[in-house]
Amino acid sequence: MTNDIWAVAELEGGKLKNISLQLASKAAQLAAALGGQSAAVALGQGAQAAAAALGATGVNAVLVSESDIYDTYLVQPATDVLAQLIQQRQPKAVLLPATVTGRDVAGRLAARLGLGVEYNVTSADVAEGEIAMVVPAFGGQLNVNATFAGDGTRLILARQNAFAATKTGSGTTTETLPAPAAPANGAKISGPFGTEGATEEGHMTTVNGHPQYVPPPSRSNVEEAAIIVSGGRGVGGPEGFADLDALAQALGGAVGSSRPVTDDEWLPHHHHIGQTGRTVKPELYIACGISGAVQHQAGMQTSKYIIAINKDKDAPIFTFCDLGVVGDLKAIIPELTKLVQDYKASH
Amino acid sequence: MARYPATLTAANKQGYNEEKSFRGNKGVPRQSLPPLLAPLSLDLEESTLKIVVCMKETPSTEVPKSLGADMRLARNPGDTIINPFDEYTIEEGLRQQEKLGGDVVILTMGPGATTEPMRRALAMGATSGVLVSDTALAGSDAVATGRVLAAALKKLSADLVLFGQSSADAYGGIVPAITAEFMGVPLLSFATKVEVEGNAVTIEREADVGYTKATAPLPALVSIAKAINNNPRYPSMKGIMSAKKKPLDTWTLADLGLDAGTVGTGAAKERVTGATPVATQRRREIITGSAGAAQRIFDFLVENKVI
Repeated sequence: MTNDIWAVAELEGGKLKNISLQLASKAAQLAAALGGQSAAVALGQGAQAAAAALGATGVNAVLVSESDIYDTYLVQPATDVLAQLIQQRQPKAVLLPATVTGRDVAGRLAARLGLGVEYNVTSADVAEGEIAMVVPAFGGQLNVNATFAGDGTRLILARQNAFAATKTGSGTTTETLPAPAAPANGAKISGPFGTEGATEEGHMTTVNGHPQYVPPPSRSNVEEAAIIVSGGRGVGGPEGFADLDALAQALGGAVGSSRPVTDDEWLPHHHHIGQTGRTVKPELYIACGISGAVQHQAGMQTSKYIIAINKDKDAPIFTFCDLGVVGDLKAIIPELTKLVQDYKASH
Repeated sequence: MARYPATLTAANKQGYNEEKSFRGNKGVPRQSLPPLLAPLSLDLEESTLKIVVCMKETPSTEVPKSLGADMRLARNPGDTIINPFDEYTIEEGLRQQEKLGGDVVILTMGPGATTEPMRRALAMGATSGVLVSDTALAGSDAVATGRVLAAALKKLSADLVLFGQSSADAYGGIVPAITAEFMGVPLLSFATKVEVEGNAVTIEREADVGYTKATAPLPALVSIAKAINNNPRYPSMKGIMSAKKKPLDTWTLADLGLDAGTVGTGAAKERVTGATPVATQRRREIITGSAGAAQRIFDFLVENKVI
């Protein structure tokens, strides 16, 4: 086994996801500490175009395979390419994003090659020549220290925003990898569907007979967002999310929610933040009409700043916020949106 | 591998479903089968769709969790529930069975005794249960778990295997992929809709806008997203009574032909070295009243250079 560290990038619709740059930055840092080489691996449509941004993180090399096979079948082609590379080149560790795709690729690699895999990692450093990690447990109440034993490449599934993206690199080499053959019993992808009427502005639609507010794509990915404006039952209904979306737009952030909101289909499910939804770690989290049950707290408590607005002065959210307002959302949010818009227009 | 014959007509399928439901209910005498169907029964036996739901028993969400001296989650076998994500999966398995016929088998790895979660799953309507239990399994990591599940699923000749999106105690979400790889079958993960047609399964998965579809040949694994939102049923009184009589097998590693050295603490490549409680200091500045609140929030954002 070498002391090399790799990061696997994630591309969606040909676009590099933020977490890819975070993982590549961490790979460069870990490899430098171990005296090894670092590399970022980008597979799929847009891989070639993503090489420059990945290289700028400071990795020694970017391995690229530009082919539509990765977007035609779920994870099997990516697994085939990575498994072969890992066997040939024996990196010490491979960092992957703890997303649906990242987990599926890591799981298959672990089984195929007999490797150890640690998941939901929020910190990784070198200690005594080994990788020492932190993994949150029990809804984030406990930080568990984890490491690996024995031989074999270590697979590390890291959470969004676990690592900071750096821009220290120059002169990275790009290596082109051949695309794999189609898998024999592959899971073939089609779509996307249901995008009719999707606009750059949010809009109301009807799902199973219920009205639903659909924020536009730019304000949909809570895991990627640095600022999240999140709403709970206290928002009052799907229409109320238009106000929150306007604030998210002004702040350049995304729209999130607590569980009852997506269970009642006021918003699509991927906006749900909490123990059974997405885990986020933004710079700013504004909780609007969210009481702050432990299940919700588990999904957002590592946010840098938490601001809470709630009518109920006894809501638990006020025990773990930086700034809390006991007041009316309907009055506060539009006023705050206007203040932010005016500020941004003049700066 | 058990499959529908391609020529099965809609009418035959109907008969086939009835055949199945008679088989699953010992209270109904076999001779009450419509005589017309009797000659078909041999062929239809071949075509039984076997749905297997992999279920994890997780500590009750009501009980405070702690780490044991071995740095693993301290588990009290008397205080376990069906992993909350798996309730959606069991529900989906039962709905598929209602549509397609066949059996729903609940597969779990557990400490050995007939447990409450397994009884509850059977009471919800599953056909039978399999518990893989062996002292050598203690301390198994995700790879070992997938190895054992894959061996059990092969022994069961599973056609459609359903998993929850992850467990509510570990949140790994990687066991389905590990199991799929050991079985050499496709995995369709995070499904919000599942449709079996002939020899293929198609799922829908939520995207940032709209959804995508993925289709794979059976046998296949599908992991069910909580977003499927299918209101898992409560066991009826009749279900609870009949669950007590449903077949429940216990298998050991030897039954699966697995070497104890490939599972358990010894085979795990991950190590826990310590743990510290998380203490985040929050400012907790609380203001009351809507007047001036927006200005204060705005100032906070500027002060902390968030905007």
